[in-house]
Amino acid sequence: MSSFKKTYLSLTLFTLFMFSFSYMLVPLYDIFCEITGLNGKTNQTKVLTVRENPTERFVTVKFTSTVANSAPFTFEPIDREIIVQVGKINNTFYTLTNNTETVKHATASPSVVPHEDAEYFKKIECFCFSQQQINGLETKELPLQFIIDNELPNDTRTLILSYTMFNTTDQMGSK
Amino acid sequence: MSTNIDKLHDDHHHTPTGIMRWITTTNHKDIGSMYLWFSLIMFFVGGLMALVIRAELFQPGLQLVVPGFFNQMTTMHALVMIFGAVMPAFVGLANWQLPIMIGAPDMALPRLNNWSFWILPFAFTMMLSTLFMDSGGPAAGWTLYPPLSLQGGDSFPYTILAIHMLGLSSILGAINVIATILNMRAPGMTLMKMPIFVWTWLITAFLLIASMPVLAGAVTMLLTDKFFGTMFFTASGGGDPVMFQHIFWFFGHPEVYILILPAFGIVSTIIPAFSRKRLFGYDSMVYATASIALLSFIVWAHHMFTVGMPLAGEIFFMFTTMLIAIPTGVKVFNWVATMWRGSMTFETPMLFALAFIVLFTIGGFSGLMLAMVPADFQYHDTYFVVAHFHYVLVPGAVFAILAAVYYWLPKWTGKMYNEGLGKLHFWLTTIFVNLTFFPMHFVGLAGMPRRIPDYAVQFADFNAIASVGAFGFGLSQLVFVYILFNTLKKDVTAEDKVWDGAEGLEWTLSSPPPYHSFEEAPKVD
Repeated sequence: MSSFKKTYLSLTLFTLFMFSFSYMLVPLYDIFCEITGLNGKTNQTKVLTVRENPTERFVTVKFTSTVANSAPFTFEPIDREIIVQVGKINNTFYTLTNNTETVKHATASPSVVPHEDAEYFKKIECFCFSQQQINGLETKELPLQFIIDNELPNDTRTLILSYTMFNTTDQMGSK
Repeated sequence: MSTNIDKLHDDHHHTPTGIMRWITTTNHKDIGSMYLWFSLIMFFVGGLMALVIRAELFQPGLQLVVPGFFNQMTTMHALVMIFGAVMPAFVGLANWQLPIMIGAPDMALPRLNNWSFWILPFAFTMMLSTLFMDSGGPAAGWTLYPPLSLQGGDSFPYTILAIHMLGLSSILGAINVIATILNMRAPGMTLMKMPIFVWTWLITAFLLIASMPVLAGAVTMLLTDKFFGTMFFTASGGGDPVMFQHIFWFFGHPEVYILILPAFGIVSTIIPAFSRKRLFGYDSMVYATASIALLSFIVWAHHMFTVGMPLAGEIFFMFTTMLIAIPTGVKVFNWVATMWRGSMTFETPMLFALAFIVLFTIGGFSGLMLAMVPADFQYHDTYFVVAHFHYVLVPGAVFAILAAVYYWLPKWTGKMYNEGLGKLHFWLTTIFVNLTFFPMHFVGLAGMPRRIPDYAVQFADFNAIASVGAFGFGLSQLVFVYILFNTLKKDVTAEDKVWDGAEGLEWTLSSPPPYHSFEEAPKVD
């Protein structure tokens, strides 16, 4: 009967392995996206070591914004488009207005197009790193500081940074 | 193997009678029958939902149902047909046939077998009960893509839990099948001497235990995203809804082969029997099945070419997908070669098997068209996709199941079905199935999107034809139900070897086979 037991045991273990494999796919997916530059994900936390090394090259950076699921916010970039020097630190900001009379929480999720250049768009200071708390009818300036890496491929002339603002008030409430 | 000894042996058992016999049974034949009856009921439940869809689509505009309910119907139709009709039918056939094909007395884990079946009615009661809730049933499609599925109402946790139970049932069933096939074959039956149906089921069972746990993981992540604050697929928390699609289709593509590989096994059994020749290229059939199964794990992203993938990814998934056409082509050519110069006769099982080859191949070709990335951007989420997967699932999987039932019903019951009615059922089914699904190719290519209750007027004629076909197809299945009950009323007259060209251990048993068969293993040379 031991051959039976061996079959059951190995099949059960295989089932459990495949269940945990579905969870392993989550970090694997992130690693895969990082390697391929898929998804246009930029750095999720502060870039700590920044060396300014300005070059003679200039690129256009455009800013766009979206409010997810018709949340009661007005969310706009102050600059639609700026021409920046590669390798030099730049500053701009977005404005966020709460159109309700109650306190809201909001989180922004960034994305860079073209996707494969996302890794050269380095954010030094970004409101996307943290939850924003915003009072009723308040307008806030959300600062953004970034640098375009010198390694940016030569054929890239324009980068688009897009933010989607999510209403996370419910999620904050449940915590 | 003497039937008398078996009959005497039976008398020593004090099995419960009535309903308790079916609730407590551990007999593979009883459980197989229950699976098949359950599948038939679910086939009609899912079919009624399809008719609601087709009735609404008979004309452009909104006539019968509100769009929300329409979406619930498309979602539930898919869930019921996949998990309630096709999969249980194959498991039922496995339960009935595997032990008597490999010369085993029963399945390896009889009590677990009982449990695998009895999970199903509860899972489906829970899933179908959501239709009566205030929020209605799940309406985000059977693929449950977030964020839409996370916005569902009260039905959401019930659906997820029902899917967990169905997965559990399938995994237990699969473990049982593998343990039976690997450990309980008659002496002398080497792996490469196994009947081809047994081979396809062995490979299907491996696909099940490799893919169902991944589905369980994916829906668990949905559940925790909704109720426990995890952010797997919630973009506001750094999650990614596209990742769900990857995980889902990592399960989903092997799943579609789970729905077709046993059908290949059935057709590979029936074609030789009615051609009175051995199966052409047995070894290549086994290797083709195994390669289809292996390839199924590296093609998943062809379901989502349009979500935004790097070019290298699209090319990789396009070519691996097209590669699957090779082992599938090997199978189709082998079936045709089996029939070549055979003394063919055309009884009902053979007719369904022949229609399977022709119509499944049509579905295969439209699949090949969908595999091409540039073309898929046009076809994605149109009725062309609906036409494709219904061609491989209805005249594919369902025809194979019907063929199998006609082929083995005289063996199971000892009673011969009415051949004339069987042929009538076949012709009605085949005509109406094409009337239903063929026009969907045209409206799909012309750009009609799937999962919508209303459409532009230029699609009206083909949709009207498809709706007529669907009602005809549904009503034709009542002929099948009549044939079943008509057969069961008859006297036992079938010979042990019902079909003169049939090969295999099951035909050495009496018709119907004794309750406990092959308690002494037969010898296979």
